[in-house]
Amino acid sequence: MQSSFDLQYIIELMPILFKYLGVTMEMALWGFLFALILALGLALVRVFKIAFIQHLASLYISFFRGTPLLVQLFLLYYGFPQFMPIFVGMDAFTAAVIGLSLHFSAYMAESIRAAILGIDKSQMEACLSIGMTRLQAMKRIILPQASRLATPSLMNYFIDMIKSTSLAFTLGVAEIMAKAQMEASSSFKFFESFLAVAVIYWVVVIFFTRIQHLLEKRLNKAY
Amino acid sequence: MKILFKKALIALVAVSSLLTVPAFAQQTVKVGMSGRYFPFTFSKKDVLQGFEVDVWNEIAKRSDYKVEYITSSFSGLFGMLEAGHIDTIANQITITEARTAKYAFSVPYVIDGVQITVRKGRDDIQGLDDLKGKKVAVNLGSNFEQVLRKHDVNKEINIVTYDTGIEQDVALGRADAFIMDRVSSVQLIKEAGLPLQLAGHPFEEIQNAMPFLNKPSQLAIRDQVNTALAAMRADGKLAEISNKWFDTDITQ
Repeated sequence: MQSSFDLQYIIELMPILFKYLGVTMEMALWGFLFALILALGLALVRVFKIAFIQHLASLYISFFRGTPLLVQLFLLYYGFPQFMPIFVGMDAFTAAVIGLSLHFSAYMAESIRAAILGIDKSQMEACLSIGMTRLQAMKRIILPQASRLATPSLMNYFIDMIKSTSLAFTLGVAEIMAKAQMEASSSFKFFESFLAVAVIYWVVVIFFTRIQHLLEKRLNKAY
Repeated sequence: MKILFKKALIALVAVSSLLTVPAFAQQTVKVGMSGRYFPFTFSKKDVLQGFEVDVWNEIAKRSDYKVEYITSSFSGLFGMLEAGHIDTIANQITITEARTAKYAFSVPYVIDGVQITVRKGRDDIQGLDDLKGKKVAVNLGSNFEQVLRKHDVNKEINIVTYDTGIEQDVALGRADAFIMDRVSSVQLIKEAGLPLQLAGHPFEEIQNAMPFLNKPSQLAIRDQVNTALAAMRADGKLAEISNKWFDTDITQ
């Protein structure tokens, strides 16, 4: 190919892509927040083995872990509106956030459950022996310790979620991957465009990995 | 005093609502496009532009519509139309039987043909017959795949669907040819600087138009679009937009 690497193009493209990084991060942060809440609920339901609901939780986890994120997004945004008109009003951004939350909550529920089970059973027994309820014990003693165990794997899912937001262009959300593809379609500089977008994702992930280290240090202080 | 104040407030609200209603009366039409189909719809320096954008800005101007462009990957556009997220698609949608059964199309605004494009210097492919045993690239979700399969009765063509970058792969030699409409093929070769050339003459005239859902509210927009398009054709505006992007009139 006669075309040579165009660094100038990347330098010009970067500020354009950066403008849309906000959309990407907003999706990832909202998605992670909702996923975390959902996952905690699911994990507790399964740990406490709450009758009936625990089977629903298992079914939920099985479905959202067992089907691709892209399929779930399409179902949510293109499938449901055909049967339930209420979904028509949902914009693409909302659909993407809901899809990401549902999908990742299934994975995160399992790692939170694993972290809770990783705290020795004797601690719960000790709590109960001094008159705490199971919920109190969970809140005061078990969860603070479990959160330390769960942090590395939850951060893993957050990083994965940041990158998964690139699927949102299939729903029409103009985030950085969408912009990179659209700019490349007129400049034909595919390598430069996708390299630029890769670098941005990478830098963002490095930033959050740093935060993870600081967080882990804090959580490990007592040990 | 209090009652007077209340009355004044009610009157104020009533008057202000009367004042604001006409300002909002301008209907917003949501137009879906891929933003990745040069030069019909693409983004350059973060500005969405192209033939489709110019056509729709003109339709909106003549119809007193406010137009909102929604960009989404091509494979998602019909889903958005079905789901009511957009009113129509401006992305060189070809009128086909299957689509007419389902959607109400506007009048055609681009007339074109199916074109084979190959790597520069390849003269062994001149027409459909030469594609037998070759790897031919088409865009995922586009109707060129069906066009090819219709001609390929004995299934001798190796048809490969791509989500992006078919011109790249043909230029690199990974695929033998790609199928697209003539107009964008010419434009691609001109602008891309990739070693590509048209192979033979285009076949099958195709008409491109905008699809709408078969619902009264959507048909009203369709009829207004038809009126605007007819006027634009009559006074030469449509040809002018075409010449701006293609140096030729592709609307006839």
